[in-house]
Amino acid sequence: MQKRMNKLSENLLDKFSMEFLRSQVLKNAYGNDDTVIAALDPRILIVWYLFFGLVPWFVDALPFLLGCFLLVMVTTLLARVAGLVLFLFGVGVFSQTGYLFLATLLFGGDASAIAPLLVLTLKVATISLASVTVFSGLDPDRLSNGLMWFGCPERLSFSISYAYRMLPMLMEEFQNVLLSYRLRGNPPAHETFMGKVRYLIYQIRIIMESFYPLMLNTAKRSRTTVEALELRGYRYAAANKSVKKIKLAALKVSYNDLLFLAVSFLWVAVSILFCALL
Amino acid sequence: MNAAQKQSATQSQKLMIFVLSMSLYGLATLFTELIPKFQLGLVELSVEYFLFIPLTLAILFDPLSAALGAATGELVFSEIMLGQFGGLGELEKFLTVTIGVYIAGRMVRDPSNRAMVGLAAITGTAAQLAMGTLVDIAKVQFAVEDFEAVAGLPESVFATEGFAFLNDLLFSGILFCLLPTLYLVPRLYGKIEPLLGMAPRTAASAVAGLSPKALVVCALGFVCAVLAELAATAGMSLIDWEAEWAESGTALALGMVTAAAVAVAALLVAKKNSERNVTR
Repeated sequence: MQKRMNKLSENLLDKFSMEFLRSQVLKNAYGNDDTVIAALDPRILIVWYLFFGLVPWFVDALPFLLGCFLLVMVTTLLARVAGLVLFLFGVGVFSQTGYLFLATLLFGGDASAIAPLLVLTLKVATISLASVTVFSGLDPDRLSNGLMWFGCPERLSFSISYAYRMLPMLMEEFQNVLLSYRLRGNPPAHETFMGKVRYLIYQIRIIMESFYPLMLNTAKRSRTTVEALELRGYRYAAANKSVKKIKLAALKVSYNDLLFLAVSFLWVAVSILFCALL
Repeated sequence: MNAAQKQSATQSQKLMIFVLSMSLYGLATLFTELIPKFQLGLVELSVEYFLFIPLTLAILFDPLSAALGAATGELVFSEIMLGQFGGLGELEKFLTVTIGVYIAGRMVRDPSNRAMVGLAAITGTAAQLAMGTLVDIAKVQFAVEDFEAVAGLPESVFATEGFAFLNDLLFSGILFCLLPTLYLVPRLYGKIEPLLGMAPRTAASAVAGLSPKALVVCALGFVCAVLAELAATAGMSLIDWEAEWAESGTALALGMVTAAAVAVAALLVAKKNSERNVTR
């Protein structure tokens, strides 16, 4: 039994290695270009998201909320979102409302607290799943183009494209710096409880310290980036209308997009019908 | 180099600071989003605030660019990339992080003054946390219907939020904001500026100093954050969705269903037609 437990915790630790995190994030960003959701027009998806990201907050009718939740669940499945993101979603929903329920019980509340909290949970879950669908289902470049079409500041769409390109490199660099600190360091023994605490502090200190070389390296890199951007006239292009037009010319609304909207609308209408009937 | 150039960063230097702060803080928040939290009894030892990164940068460089970059980095790396984007509610986090880091950056006149750096770091963190706590309390009060009716809920919200604030300030604030900032600022001062092609910040430079105008702008920003959060959670009085359906009842809903069904059918036919045209 003890052995099995050890093995299980080892497996879990393996799962949470740096490599795993990196591959999951990359998979989330670039791994699913061929899904139904990724092929849709980003502008349509953003409009769709605006509905499912806002309306559930304002509605308390249970059938409607359930209907919305089922719909966004299906779209999340269609987008084939990475497992880690779904896990984080679960943790996030629990930490938003689940702990509140426990605290309510602690302060002398009873089971009557469940109903309003259930509604709240349903709302939170629907909204987060809608955002998971749109923001993990879409290619970053398409997403930033869509945002730009709606007049979001150029800085934001630049940041999105830049983040997705740079993140793998940054993570690798951070890992390298961290490993070199570990190689040179001498971790305290961690058999006893105090040793474990000291070990934890040691680990945290190493992470903090490794930001020092990382900051210097990133400063150098960001200077190179900005200089390269300036050479191509980035700051003028960002403000120029005709450049924007050329950039956004690739966006096209197809029948699939309209069909997606219509099916969502049909589903929502059916759930409203249920509300009216009940 | 003349005095005017020394005093404030040029546009492209501001962009450099923005990119630097964005990528570093974004990377850090991505980890905090992924790393599970440690629970030591009641005390939650979360690595929640890597806020020392933007704090350090805001103290060393132009505060506004560093603050905006950090907030954008958090938004893009940990919210949008992981698909955790919370819509309008994210505006609150964006604004509170910006304000907290900006205040800290403006407070420091001379980065080589350690006491000032420490005070600024803890003030910025406290400001950000306090704003977040206030917004959270307001949010739960509005989001849960008949808030007062649920036994034990109001007290529990105040208690958990107040405790979380103190916990965050004392543990995350000191461990992850104050100490690393105190460690990093003196070491980076004078070393990192040449990499961005600028002169180190001194007591004489114009960026420092917290003016009343900046404070007013920060207060306005906080009001915006509260409004955005409340609009995101409690817009029931703004838009009366429910009443509309309740009155019109089944007929309207039926009409909507039919309209939607017709739209789906029409689109399917149109799609078929267009595909046939292409193949022909």
